[in-house]
Amino acid sequence: MARSLAREGRAVAERATFCNNPVAPAPAMIQMFHVTKAYPGDPPALLDVNLMVEKGEFVFLTGPSGAGKTTLLRLVFCAEPPTRGQILVGGRNVARIRQSSIPFLRRNIGVVFQDFKLLPHRTVLDNVALAMDVLGVPRNEARQRANRMLKQVGLQHKTEHLPLKLSGGEQQRVVIARALVNEPALLLADEPTGNLDPGLTQEIMSLLSDANVRGTTVVVATHDLAMVERLQKRVVRLERGHIVQDAGPAVVRRVG
Amino acid sequence: MGAVAKAQTFWRSAVEGIRHQPFVHAVSTVTLAIALFTLGLARLAGHELDRLVGSLGGEVRVTVYLDPHATPEARTAVAGALRSRGMAVEEVSPRAALDRLVRELGPAAESLRGLSEDPLPPSLEVRVPERMRAPGSLRALAEEVRGTPAVTGVDYGEQAVERLSAIARAVRWAGWVAFVVLVGATLIIVSATLQLAIYARREEVEIQKLVGATDRFVQAPFLVEGALQGLAGAVVAIAALVAFRQTLSPQLASLLSFLRLPSAAPETRGWTEALELALAGAALGLSGSYLAVHRFLRA
Repeated sequence: MARSLAREGRAVAERATFCNNPVAPAPAMIQMFHVTKAYPGDPPALLDVNLMVEKGEFVFLTGPSGAGKTTLLRLVFCAEPPTRGQILVGGRNVARIRQSSIPFLRRNIGVVFQDFKLLPHRTVLDNVALAMDVLGVPRNEARQRANRMLKQVGLQHKTEHLPLKLSGGEQQRVVIARALVNEPALLLADEPTGNLDPGLTQEIMSLLSDANVRGTTVVVATHDLAMVERLQKRVVRLERGHIVQDAGPAVVRRVG
Repeated sequence: MGAVAKAQTFWRSAVEGIRHQPFVHAVSTVTLAIALFTLGLARLAGHELDRLVGSLGGEVRVTVYLDPHATPEARTAVAGALRSRGMAVEEVSPRAALDRLVRELGPAAESLRGLSEDPLPPSLEVRVPERMRAPGSLRALAEEVRGTPAVTGVDYGEQAVERLSAIARAVRWAGWVAFVVLVGATLIIVSATLQLAIYARREEVEIQKLVGATDRFVQAPFLVEGALQGLAGAVVAIAALVAFRQTLSPQLASLLSFLRLPSAAPETRGWTEALELALAGAALGLSGSYLAVHRFLRA
């Protein structure tokens, strides 16, 4: 009982960290200070990177393959620790986070991958509801919310299908529904349109833009420069582990 | 609200896991069933051993030799003291003892002719209650009685009793060693098998962790699966033990009839034993799956 309360408390505290406090100045959503990530035998994937993403921003991470885009996203959602430097997510230093606290942090981060990462034996509805199952949301409520989210992404008629019966674009929409169903403060998308045709790319990007309009901070790693130009958002360009350009339509700055 | 919803999620996930990998789970269940059947059989053998030792112990009689010159009151006092402690005491006169010896010797009894009329001392034959049949208790009783006036000696077949007791002790120790080895081997096999099941679902685990599942959330369905396998294994083992008792056990008893085992087998503990096996099965399944999933999450 006491442990359960402690866990609930930790989850609430984690949530509060991510939410805007009207009195105190809101910390940036992501802050990276001199971050390096190196793997044995390889040149560093990230080298002395400094980056700040404010709450509510929409940021594109661009750069060639191997530039460090995916590594940067993995460090933010604690898939691995940095070799050096500090990373603050929602004001919380994730470079020093305890292993047991990572799940509570991730509940405030939606993640979208190019390879979808859907459970093949579960229906579309169950895949979206999974994000609420881990929070202990009652089944009926979870299914209702998952249904609403699937309607938002235009898949209300495919709720009982298995993921492999869907097209690539539809599977990506399921992933976005799963990532957004808990209304995360931060959404990380790694090549979310990598395998999709231009029409579907447009659809997916408008879903991410809608989430951003509703207040979610969005970071998208992509190769698709045409899409980046079209959407007119801040662009951070990585090359060989360094940030070589950090520019936006309104503000252009260099960091690192 | 969270606990009930999570319990339902774990249950659904466990059932789904079993449904998608029936072969792996069947292997674990059969392994557990074999182990539990062997444990049940060992317990059955243990009970039979207890009955055998008990029945042989029933043959143990303590003979108290009395001083022929002691007064009848002194002799009666010795018998009375033993009876007051719950022992059945039979007084054997020198005449009766000689008659018994003659009967036992048969034709060789001719050699007894020419002896004086009462060559054997008067004695008491004592049947010791079950609680006092342990070698230590018998030795203490013999020492105590030896110190009584009017008693010249005590004989209780010391060597036979101690040997029987040593055999029973050795068999019990061997049983415990076999039990530990069996449980250890079962845990290794079950956890290795379940690790295959977990490995096959590594992508599911990865996705759960991506959306914020704790290690406990990931572990729980596998623990439920382990417990269910243990219970299923126990049901199979109990059915096999019942079949064994009804078919092979009477045949074995007739083969071992020379041991003069008591005929009435104790059946009253059947349900308790079944419940104990079910609990042991669930505990083994839980432990095996805990080891497997713990190792997987730490890898």
